[in-house]
Amino acid sequence: MVLVELPEWAALAPMLLLAGTALALFVIDSISPRSTNRTILAGTATAGSLAALAVAVWFTAAGVGAPGMDGFGVIELFDGQLIVDQMALYFMIVVAVVTALVSVASYDYMEGHAYQAEYYSLVMLAATGMATMAAANSLVTIFIALELASLPSYALVSILKDNRGSVEAGLKYFLVGALSSAIFVYGISLVYGATGFLQLDAIAVELEALAAGDGGDFGGLLGLGILMLIGGFAFKTASVPFHFWAPEAYEGAPAPISAFLSSASKAAGFVIAFRVFTTAFPLDVTTELIGVDWTVAFVILAVVTMTVGNFAAATQDNVKRMLAYSSIGHAGYALIGLAGLGAGSETVMGAAMMHLLVYGFMNTGAFLFVGLAEHWGVGRTFEDYNGLAKQAPIACAALAVFMFSLAGIPPFGGFFSKYFLFTGAIEAGLLVVAAALVVNSALSLYYYARLVKAVWIDDPVVERDSLSQPTGLYAAIVFAAVMTVVLLPGFGPVVDTALDAAAVVVA
Amino acid sequence: MTVAIEYYVLLSMALFCIGLFGILTRRNALMFLMSVELMLNAANINLIAFAFYHGNLTGQVFGLFVMALAAAEVAVGLGIILVLYRNFRDVDVTVPTTMRW
Repeated sequence: MVLVELPEWAALAPMLLLAGTALALFVIDSISPRSTNRTILAGTATAGSLAALAVAVWFTAAGVGAPGMDGFGVIELFDGQLIVDQMALYFMIVVAVVTALVSVASYDYMEGHAYQAEYYSLVMLAATGMATMAAANSLVTIFIALELASLPSYALVSILKDNRGSVEAGLKYFLVGALSSAIFVYGISLVYGATGFLQLDAIAVELEALAAGDGGDFGGLLGLGILMLIGGFAFKTASVPFHFWAPEAYEGAPAPISAFLSSASKAAGFVIAFRVFTTAFPLDVTTELIGVDWTVAFVILAVVTMTVGNFAAATQDNVKRMLAYSSIGHAGYALIGLAGLGAGSETVMGAAMMHLLVYGFMNTGAFLFVGLAEHWGVGRTFEDYNGLAKQAPIACAALAVFMFSLAGIPPFGGFFSKYFLFTGAIEAGLLVVAAALVVNSALSLYYYARLVKAVWIDDPVVERDSLSQPTGLYAAIVFAAVMTVVLLPGFGPVVDTALDAAAVVVA
Repeated sequence: MTVAIEYYVLLSMALFCIGLFGILTRRNALMFLMSVELMLNAANINLIAFAFYHGNLTGQVFGLFVMALAAAEVAVGLGIILVLYRNFRDVDVTVPTTMRW
């Protein structure tokens, strides 16, 4: 029994805590506008995201959003516009973890930057948007949350105002983002035209009624609308065909922001795609209305995305750019979760959710290592990284963990999530996708191992002075590495949580 | 007498395509913003026409949200174009090419 009966809106606490932290940072900024007191600002941001994380974990453990006897049931708020179920809480955990890591790492990375408070409050606002995306259950709230996550991200990418790379990255991210959000909202308007509803459950009910009746006059509009919605998701998750902003934006942005966008923002993009396609467009009914099975689109996107990402990553000389393309490749792996839904199995979607959690640690860690290297000023290419292990063995050991986990080598978390994706894809009968996953993982080992070899085996090209050990960056990197390893024994609970959450949504 | 729904959809699709054409051909970042604005307003026409057609207000209310978000997007976009101009002395989107794939 619960000791205190919380009101229903309290289920949104992780999201509200993130929003509250953003407002608290504004208050601190308005009290002392020119303050560059990094300890208070980064501390507030970290405390807020850790509090959101703690609440989300507590809710998951207590069974908020879990159906059945031991849970509180799925909580619908504001007439079903927002929904708190296990999937929402799961992705709030992912977002909060990445936000905490990024805030800690930014303490050192943004040293000497003039606009500290603005930076942290933008990070928290974007995190609020991502957490809202996890809970959004209507095309209206999805679009608003998506913009709340995107707009601060554009500003964050170009926050180094005197750095040409950062500004160029921000411009390209903004232009592609604005285009894709226009396409997305047009898609929403077409779906609204075909059904007359924007709330996801209501859309599904209306589609069933249409399929049972004469089929309606708007099958074509609906199909076009769904295609345009897929375009919007592809942008947010950095998948083909809207992936080309990602290498530029990740390379030019401050490294913690690259980590933030490539982990948290990608996960948030996937949660809305999962939610929309499982709730609003039931497969059999939609197929009957538009004449095409929408999982086919995701099968193609998954294979093309992972192939494009991995082949492009293999040809890069710049480490950050290599990671950016590898992040596109991983979006392709996670897309298997949607491609496999046709067979009605929740395993494959649960596997994609697991992959996004593990990815949140290993990829954030890898980008933060790049941030550490930028903090040292050692350069950007593989050769510049040669022999770093002699001077910074701990960080480089962590880097090796991230790289091998990203490649999917057995002892680390990345192996298990890829293994579940592989078995899930085979169960769903997607042999081509499963084969593409294996081939691409093998290829990815080449460029991940190349970075590990550069750091551990090769001799430095130039002599370096001794390297500093910034506390915040080190703490974030080591924590991410520990989590990447610890997720192995802890994988049982992660698997259960992800599978339960997926089962509720798919059913 | 009322105008049939098809004509509204045709109008909005024409507006959307004009916007898309502008984005693909223009090199000035400000023209790019205006083209995006056209595309968003094409969606608004759809939403409002369909709200009338279906007889519920959901679409109209969402149209208001879209307008507000479009304004916010332009505000952020103009900020980015301003720093672009300060760094590159131009608002041509093909000028910044420090990174290439």
